[in-house]
Amino acid sequence: MRTAILPLILAVAAGPLTARQAAAIQQRPTAGKPPAAESAGKAATPASAVEAVDSAKAQLSKAAIDSLTELVDRFRRDPEAVPIPATAQVAMGGKTVPAGTEVPGPVAVAGGPLHVFGTVNGDAIAVGSDVIVHPGGRVTGNAVSALGAVTLLGGSVNGEIRQLGGALGAIPKPVAEADTPARSTRHALALSSSWLIILVLMAIGVLLFAGDYLDGVVDSLEGRFGRSFWAGVATQFALAPVLALLIVALAVTILGILLIPFAIVAFVLAVAGLITLGFLAIARITGESVAPAASKRYSARGAALRALVVGVSIYMGLWVLASAFAWAPMVGTVLRGIAVAITWVAITAGLGAAVLSRGGTRRSAPAAPLAAVNDIPWQTPTPVTGVVAARRRTPSSSARER
Amino acid sequence: MTGRVRSVLAHATAASLAASTAAAQSWRTLDVSRQLRDSAPAAVQVIYGTGKIGMRATSNPLLYHMLLRYDATRTQPRHVFDTAGRKLQIGVQKSEVRFTGRKDSDAGYLQLELSKNTPLDLNLDLGAVESDLDLTGLRLSRLRVESGASDGRLRFDSLNATRMSMLEISLGAASFRGDRLANANAQDVRVDAGVGNVELDLGGQWTQDMDLRVDITLGVVTIHVPSDVGVRVSLQKTLASFEHEGLIERDGAWVSRNWDSAPHKVRITAKTVFGKLTIDRTGR
Repeated sequence: MRTAILPLILAVAAGPLTARQAAAIQQRPTAGKPPAAESAGKAATPASAVEAVDSAKAQLSKAAIDSLTELVDRFRRDPEAVPIPATAQVAMGGKTVPAGTEVPGPVAVAGGPLHVFGTVNGDAIAVGSDVIVHPGGRVTGNAVSALGAVTLLGGSVNGEIRQLGGALGAIPKPVAEADTPARSTRHALALSSSWLIILVLMAIGVLLFAGDYLDGVVDSLEGRFGRSFWAGVATQFALAPVLALLIVALAVTILGILLIPFAIVAFVLAVAGLITLGFLAIARITGESVAPAASKRYSARGAALRALVVGVSIYMGLWVLASAFAWAPMVGTVLRGIAVAITWVAITAGLGAAVLSRGGTRRSAPAAPLAAVNDIPWQTPTPVTGVVAARRRTPSSSARER
Repeated sequence: MTGRVRSVLAHATAASLAASTAAAQSWRTLDVSRQLRDSAPAAVQVIYGTGKIGMRATSNPLLYHMLLRYDATRTQPRHVFDTAGRKLQIGVQKSEVRFTGRKDSDAGYLQLELSKNTPLDLNLDLGAVESDLDLTGLRLSRLRVESGASDGRLRFDSLNATRMSMLEISLGAASFRGDRLANANAQDVRVDAGVGNVELDLGGQWTQDMDLRVDITLGVVTIHVPSDVGVRVSLQKTLASFEHEGLIERDGAWVSRNWDSAPHKVRITAKTVFGKLTIDRTGR
């Protein structure tokens, strides 16, 4: 079980900070109520400590102070920080609050420890160093250390003991990648190419599973482009009113209200299907016109697939071309406008044909095939001379009689 | 420049460089604690969204001690103690529960230690976490654990010194195990799980009878009951199975043979749909 590793984390990660703090606290089990006897007993120790600490105060170079100033500024911007005095009031290299003294807080140091033997009325802050609260020392606010530790050697902290580690400063906001011309071109090309691939895959799917319906739309479109186009325009204008009518019709029946969401989804899917079918039909016709297949080289389905791929590539090629010029705003806009116009015309005509053919289920009536003529009855040995000869039936006469 | 200052500045520079190169995340650690002033009761709410959480009692004179590793770009720590109301809110302020595809080593964690000396009303509000809640030694007057999708373990290795008014565990999709729950010293125990595998060990020191209500929709519940404790099971099941070895049916419920004579009893009311309830009395 993965929870088995949690004790390891508890033991290892918490160790360095907790152990030191806990050990220090354990020395004074009644922390918060400083035992007077013990403080008195160790009165000599803090005094010598103050002297030692003061003499050990770090002498910092200007470069170090500059770096610490920057660190203090970062601490100031950190959301987990407490209010810190102006940088000029931050003791660079450390500071000691002597025993028996009270200083108003916040007291802040950087680059050296803050030893508290007396009382800090407010927060005690160390940036890049430690806060050490000695026996008898007291912090009435929070004791905060950034990139260091807060160590209690018998003193007390009324507020929170806080240690910040890791990155310091304001929380970085995710930086958006600059939208350079190259990047926008790459993005546009990827988008248009993806659509090209999707449409080709859809074309293959439609050809395999709905080839008859596609043939029906193609039949409807061939030779009647103008009619299909205007039917497509009318359909586009009629979409919203038809949907509204559908909703109203369902709403007037109480039970139908429940069906409205489903009806909307079904309507949208039906329209999307008709548009796709129509677009693929016109792509196929375009493909057949531009690159007619040699009849002996391809089967009927192979020729249809070839025409579809060529047609889709032509229409989507316009978009790919426009995308390739995304880095040039003027040319790109013109090419995009052309692509929009041509695609709209193609989709409109295809939609019209799909509607007229009722989704490819209704085809134009094919020309009636000529009836075969049975020649045998006419192969008679009867001499024709002197007999009124009947007119031999021909295919054209048969058709006329019908 | 002293060696210590040089070291700190070098670490700070490295941390800032790391933060700038990986602007998408900013890992930080926060160690917060508060000294214990008295032993007055306190209400503790722990909020944690994603990562690993560990909890245990501390003997140190601290009310709480939290070590949190978190991504500052996604999570904001929360550590508020209302001294007048004795209410502690600790953990994270907000956390987006989402699948980032990061490795476990990148995950955050929260380790929380609570005082052994303070009676606590503990409320754990967890998201998708891996939890190890060792509540041994804490003085809990009430415990509520709510978790979304978790892999969790809760245990009481010794008797809770305070009588618990209610132990409530609410799980979404979880694998959960509670060990030695009799030590929780709770009369009323409720376990509500959506989907998952829940294992409840009622071992430990029995000081009173227990009412255990289990409601699981889809999953397996296994309840281990010591052999000297009397068991009565009332079950409402739909398309679920019930393994009741050693129990006999009486008055519309299943009871153990020692029900009348047992010094302590557990009354289990279980509801399950598409689940499986197993009562194990092998005495583990």
